[in-house]
Formats: sequence, structure tokens, C-alpha cells
Amino acid sequence: MNFNGTFTQVIDELVQRVMPSLVVVRGHRFGAGAGIVWDAEGLILTNNHVVGRHNPIVVLQDNREYESRLLARDPDVDLALLSIDATGLTPLKPAPGSPRVGEMVFAFGHPWGQRNTVTRGIVSALVSAQNRRGEKLPVVRSDVPLAPGNSGGPLVNAKGEVVGINAMIVGGDQSVSIAASVAIEFVNKARRDGTSVRRKSEPVPNDVI
Amino acid sequence: MSQNVLVELSDALADAAEKAGNATVLVNARRRMPASGIAYASDLILTADHVVEREEGIKVILADGAEISARVAGRDAGSDLAVLKLERAAGTVAEATKSPARLGQIALALGRPSPDGIEASLGTVSAIGGPIRTGRGGMLERYLRTDSISYPGFSGGPLVAADGTILGLNTSGLANGAAVTVPADIAWRIADTLVTHGRIKRGYLGIRSQAVELPEASQKALQREQAAGLLIMGIEKDSPAAKGGLIVGDILVGVAGEPVIHHDELFARLDGDVVGKSTPIDILRGGQPQTLNVMIGEK
Repeated sequence: MNFNGTFTQVIDELVQRVMPSLVVVRGHRFGAGAGIVWDAEGLILTNNHVVGRHNPIVVLQDNREYESRLLARDPDVDLALLSIDATGLTPLKPAPGSPRVGEMVFAFGHPWGQRNTVTRGIVSALVSAQNRRGEKLPVVRSDVPLAPGNSGGPLVNAKGEVVGINAMIVGGDQSVSIAASVAIEFVNKARRDGTSVRRKSEPVPNDVI
Repeated sequence: MSQNVLVELSDALADAAEKAGNATVLVNARRRMPASGIAYASDLILTADHVVEREEGIKVILADGAEISARVAGRDAGSDLAVLKLERAAGTVAEATKSPARLGQIALALGRPSPDGIEASLGTVSAIGGPIRTGRGGMLERYLRTDSISYPGFSGGPLVAADGTILGLNTSGLANGAAVTVPADIAWRIADTLVTHGRIKRGYLGIRSQAVELPEASQKALQREQAAGLLIMGIEKDSPAAKGGLIVGDILVGVAGEPVIHHDELFARLDGDVVGKSTPIDILRGGQPQTLNVMIGEK
């Protein structure tokens, strides 16, 4: 089989498909992280630790900047759901089911502030991490190089589906992503309890305008 | 359509990890974290010698989670390989590759350092080298290196080709902590010997020597083109060499009819096959070839 150029092409297609859903999430005190466009109507998923204490700024691929509204956050799964007043966005689809050890994955993010970086690896292990509540949290470990700035960005499979939310860097050579199933559950819960969560969030200038 | 190539490769890698992973076991034979092993037969586990720190209470956990007691069937520090015998036969047996590893080939390093499941890292075969003397007093005719990440507890686990066959056994115990892979054909061969004899015999002559060039006249006397030999600088008392009549100043040029021009070659020739046997040693003494029969000892 002649692979000449084939891989470059399919990887390019993958990048073209995923990149529009990658955003910058800029906290006010903390450095910038990454985020994922979760639906077309402005839901943005990112790490809780990226958000900091205030509503962060979300920067889309076309450089439009939005003041976000914090809809929900949960430090125990390190996820936060933001909303921006934008429509017609390109969301990513979560992968159905659990990934397999050995399958190829790609991390999208802004490591060390380098915008729109893609790094490749494979799923190294499917394990669970214990959070502060003592709950077992399914995580995807991979050999994808991650760095600060990747936090909150997507780990996608060869089809461009989200298998994890990049979260932590352990020991430099093993990266940890929160399993997509956790993210789905978190978003569903936030949507269900949306009003109560929203009441808690602080008003932001966007609401006034 | 073109999308499929990437997805197919990804699926193939996951398939390979699953296939070889079913034959990759957890080996608990040391105090700190467990290491890995390869099911080399239904009741035999091939692992790294250095991870077997105790011979009592060894536990092996299979891919299906079953825990089985094991004992050491044979071990060889020199090649850092050990074979464990399971209390009962179990599980999937690993398939060694039929085509040797090639430079640049995609390879997965697998390990099972925790009961949670298989772990993997992707890389390519980045070097094929050898022979080398290992840091543990052995000799490896060939070794592989990869750029995959060797996670803690990966020693004893397999390096896997994209088709799920085993390219070799990974260990950090041979080269000062750096990950090296013992090629499957060598590892399997040593394992066979370990199962039969429990250990690897290494020959012992009892000489110190230095490689020297052979002048043309010596080569003419030898009646063969051989650029170098080993000048004997010292002989240990009561050693096989002393008993066999070798003296300081002799130039060793062959063992069992095969020319020897380098220490590593002498080391390789003095393998288990010649131990305890009267073996012809070719030397040059005063420029003239002679053959002495020496009863090779064991280290």
C-alpha cells in the first residue's frame, strides 16, 4: 500500500475538523488555558483550575473575545462549564464508550502559551483517580506530551471525537485527561440544575449589555 | 475514505495492545512496585531477572485478574532474564515475532505494573545494536532500543509489533537504568535453556589479555588472514588456562577452530556449550601456531 502523503492528509483533515472547537480560556489572575466548544449555542467546557475566581475571557479561533458566564464548576472533577453569547459555533462530539489502550490520540491546546498546538500519542492506560470526596474518577492516561496551557483542551481519537479533557501533567512523561464520560455527566448535571447554578454565578458585564 | 487510514492504524494499535496485553502479566516479586512479565508458555512466565528480588511468595496476576503463585524455574543475571513457573497453567500465550525488528518500525511497549489493566507507550525501533557486554556480566549478541516511554514497572514486559507479535522483552536492568529490549529470538532461546537447566553456563579460561595486531609473518604462519589476536598478559593461578598449558606471551587466535580477534568474541565463544569440555585453543607462541586442549571451566 502506498501511504505517500496519505497520513499527512488525514491528519490535516483531523486538525481542520477539531481546531474550530478549540478556544483560549483566559482567567484574570491565572495564565491561559484551553477550552472546548461543547455546543453550537456557546457552551464552553474547560478545567475548573483554569477558570480561577472570576469569569474568564473566551477567545475563539477567529480571535473574537467573549466575557463568559460561569454556569457550573466542580473542583472534584476539575471541570467548569462556561457560556458565551455566540451562536453557530462548531462543537466537538464525545466518543461513544471508553477508549482502548493503544489507540491513537491527539491533544489540542496552547502549551506554554503556544496557540493551537497539536500533540500526538496513544492511550497508555485507563485508570481511576481518587478525588477529595473519595470518589473514583475514570481518567485516560496517555503518552501525549502535555504542558501548562493544554489544560481544559480536548484529547481526541483518530475520528476527532473527544475521549478526554486534558487536565494534569504527572511526572513529565505521563499525561492525564478526565474521561469524556465524566464530562458528559458533568454537563448534563449542570444543564439539569442549570437555574440554581446560574443564580449562584456573579453577574457579568455581558448580562448588562 | 482517506480518513480510514488513520482510524485503521489506530484500531490496529489498539488490537495489538489487546492481543499482546492478554499475554502480559503482572509480576510481584519485589518490595516496591510490581513489574511485568510475558506468558511464554501456558505455565511459564518470562520476566526480567532484576525484578525478581525474592524467590519466596512470588505472585503473578494475569490479564483476567486471576492471581497465581509462582516459583523461579531459572534465572540469568547476565542477560537479565528469569523464567517463573506458575502453580497452574493459565491464560493466553504470547506469540513471538517471526520477522526480526527493523529500524524505524512502529512498536508498542506494554506493561502491567498494576492490577488496573494494561499500560502502553508508542514509539519506533530507534537502534539495533550488539554484541554488547551487559552491566551484569553477560553478553547480548543483539539488542533493540526504542523511543517509547518505559513507565515504572515496565521491565519484563513486551515490545510489541503492530501485528501484536512480540519483538522482545523490555528491561531497564541491562544498561544502567536505560530501557533496552532483548530481541524475542534471543530471549526465547535463553528461556528454553533456563527451563531445562535453570541457569546459563558461562565458560571460564582465567586469562587477562589485550587485543594486538598480527604481523604479516604471523598471519602467514597461521595460514589465514586474521588481523588481530589476544595477547595473554596474565594467567590466574590454577585456572583452566594454567592447567591447559597457556603461558603469558601467547597470542590467543582461536577457540574451537573459530578465529578470535576481540575480547567480545572470546566471551561469546566461551558459552555454555564448551563448559567442562576439552576445547582446542589456537595460539601463536614465538610466532608459530600451536593448538592446546584446555578443559574450559565455569564462571
